[in-house]
Amino acid sequence: MIDNGLLVQMLIGALLGLSVYLPLAAGQLSLATPAFYAVGGTLAALLSTRWSALGATAAGTLPLGSLVLELLLGGLLAGLLALLVGRLVLRLQGIYLAIATIALVEILRVAILNLPFTGGAVGIFGIPQPFATAAGYVLPALALLALAGWWCQRLEGMPLGRAMAAIRDDELAARCMGIDTTNVKLSAFVLSAVLAGSTGALAAHFLNTWNARQGSFDVSITTLAFVVLGGSRSWLGPVVGGLLLTALPELLRPVGDVRLVLFGLVILLGPVLAPQGLITPALLARLGRWGEEKER
Amino acid sequence: MTPTPPPSTVVRQRGALRLAALLAAGIGALAWLGRSSDPAAQPLTAGPLTLGAAIAFTGNANLYGQDQRMGLAVAERWAQQAGPPARPVRVLLEDGASDEASAIAAFNLLIRQGVIALIGPTLSQQAFAADPIAQRLGVPVVAPSNTAKGIPEIGHFISRVSAQSSVIAPLSLDEALRRDPGIRRVAVFYAQDDAYSTAEVAIFEKALAARRLTPVTVQRTQLADNDFQTPITAALQLRPQLLVLSVQAVAGGNLIRQLRELGYRGQIVVGNGLNTPNIYPICQRWCDGILIAQAYSPELNTPINRRFQQLFRQAHGDRPPPQITAQAFTSYQVLFEAIQRLQRKGGLTGVTLGQARTRLMAELLRGRYDTPLGPIGFTPKGEVLQDRFYVAEVRMAPGGRDGRFALVRERTLQEAKP
Repeated sequence: MIDNGLLVQMLIGALLGLSVYLPLAAGQLSLATPAFYAVGGTLAALLSTRWSALGATAAGTLPLGSLVLELLLGGLLAGLLALLVGRLVLRLQGIYLAIATIALVEILRVAILNLPFTGGAVGIFGIPQPFATAAGYVLPALALLALAGWWCQRLEGMPLGRAMAAIRDDELAARCMGIDTTNVKLSAFVLSAVLAGSTGALAAHFLNTWNARQGSFDVSITTLAFVVLGGSRSWLGPVVGGLLLTALPELLRPVGDVRLVLFGLVILLGPVLAPQGLITPALLARLGRWGEEKER
Repeated sequence: MTPTPPPSTVVRQRGALRLAALLAAGIGALAWLGRSSDPAAQPLTAGPLTLGAAIAFTGNANLYGQDQRMGLAVAERWAQQAGPPARPVRVLLEDGASDEASAIAAFNLLIRQGVIALIGPTLSQQAFAADPIAQRLGVPVVAPSNTAKGIPEIGHFISRVSAQSSVIAPLSLDEALRRDPGIRRVAVFYAQDDAYSTAEVAIFEKALAARRLTPVTVQRTQLADNDFQTPITAALQLRPQLLVLSVQAVAGGNLIRQLRELGYRGQIVVGNGLNTPNIYPICQRWCDGILIAQAYSPELNTPINRRFQQLFRQAHGDRPPPQITAQAFTSYQVLFEAIQRLQRKGGLTGVTLGQARTRLMAELLRGRYDTPLGPIGFTPKGEVLQDRFYVAEVRMAPGGRDGRFALVRERTLQEAKP
């Protein structure tokens, strides 16, 4: 059975999946999501444990308003960082961009490991809690996901979203049509970073502790798997992929020691059986037409 | 003017909205079904009590987790063979993996299944994530292998039987200095991206400073490193007389082997990460002579340790149990004995599970225990009070394939001093 704690982890997975999806919707394979996730998480961990103005008490509680502020600041800082590095790395394409973003993840991981105020390898622990139980985290995580989903849904009808789709289909043709491809790609990259930064800030509180391991190359691959399994043609793909792949290892616990073998099989067979992912445009079109035939 | 989107896009967007609504409803239903899952308010049922153990069977800590699983299995057999208990106890094992999120999930799962106390998780970093959850829900936790600073301080429901590295680590330095009082030049190696190494090396450096020794060099390695030629060459140029290594088992085995192969002949003191027989096949005959301070010695001659050894050898062949197995055994033993005492006093009748958990924690901290580690107790905070520690030297068999930790000195501390 899925308890609220696992549900929050699933929602965080879905948010990270969306963060990988956004640059991909503009045709950019960026694996930088864990870097921005780590920035948001580290910032929230530092602020809530060191900055008394946020109102953390000795009993380890935190006012809700401070959490919202941290979500905003985490997103903002990650977005600023993305704006700075985006101009440089987005000149690269395809696999070269992927490698550059992996480097970004590594640089940030090593930086967080070695900075004098981030607790080294042990990290920051005793992060104050805005909620008494895991159930409390469901609401902010769901709200963040709903906001991101609403934005992605709107994006498909907005000029920015269409420009992103055009670049994904053919960047050269898009540029010839007069689309400012650099700025569109940068916007998608920054949006992805803001989402990952806010998610990190929420995750730091949920996990009670934060260290450099949270934003590692492993997370890049896991989050990419969310998009590959779920599908990269609609924002619902990474959401479904993130929810499913986060829950699966936990739901497989009854099978015992082979559960990770089964999990690996799912990741292997997913793209083989559904090359476009679980959520394809055709599926969405079928869902959209559902019921129409009867009306006619 | 906005262009009218083609009908197929409209249909797709409508489909996406419908699917999103479906997902939202599904998530809402999951949130509703998964709410308030801790059965603490229910009355404690008669019959066996359940201990939940969340230890690492997967991920990079699984070497330790497997040793811990053996310890818990031996402990269950020990309890069965000790005669009918006042209250039977069984263990529910869950994979806590090696990351924070899995440890949280395993703790939540076990708490929901109504365990009276928890054993685990394997790594200190996981403890910082999962222990606050047990603390908030009032479930006693006994950590069998968390040695970082600040674990019992998470809350009064958190305790451990694994002594902090700060207590143990300096003892082996004393032994090295006793063997060669003329040591002045010390080189230190540690893995800078590993929580255990960074914590332990700080203790080694403090202990060196207290003995008026300043390291001539501190070499930083990475957790995943296996080739140490560069740091070794850099360190050996400074002609160290003593090497202090604080790294994990596999890396440490390789490091020792390469040090000897590159010509280092002096003494080597290692930290708790190399406190496992799993290093013998890696550094083979080159392991010979390294000094290590331990919280457990297989050579301790007490009835409970002899019994533990006997049961371990019955199950796993003729080899001495590692420290981490003995500590896992101990974590079960202290909980088992506290439950029996509480049962005999009548403390477990007519109470809810939540009350039973609170009473068990109080009883656990009050007791003294004669364990394979030696006699132990707890501070009111839950820190282990262990007064007997051991310094061992690795002696390899002639073939260089197998060896043992030979006890060279037993040290008694009045209490766990930092």
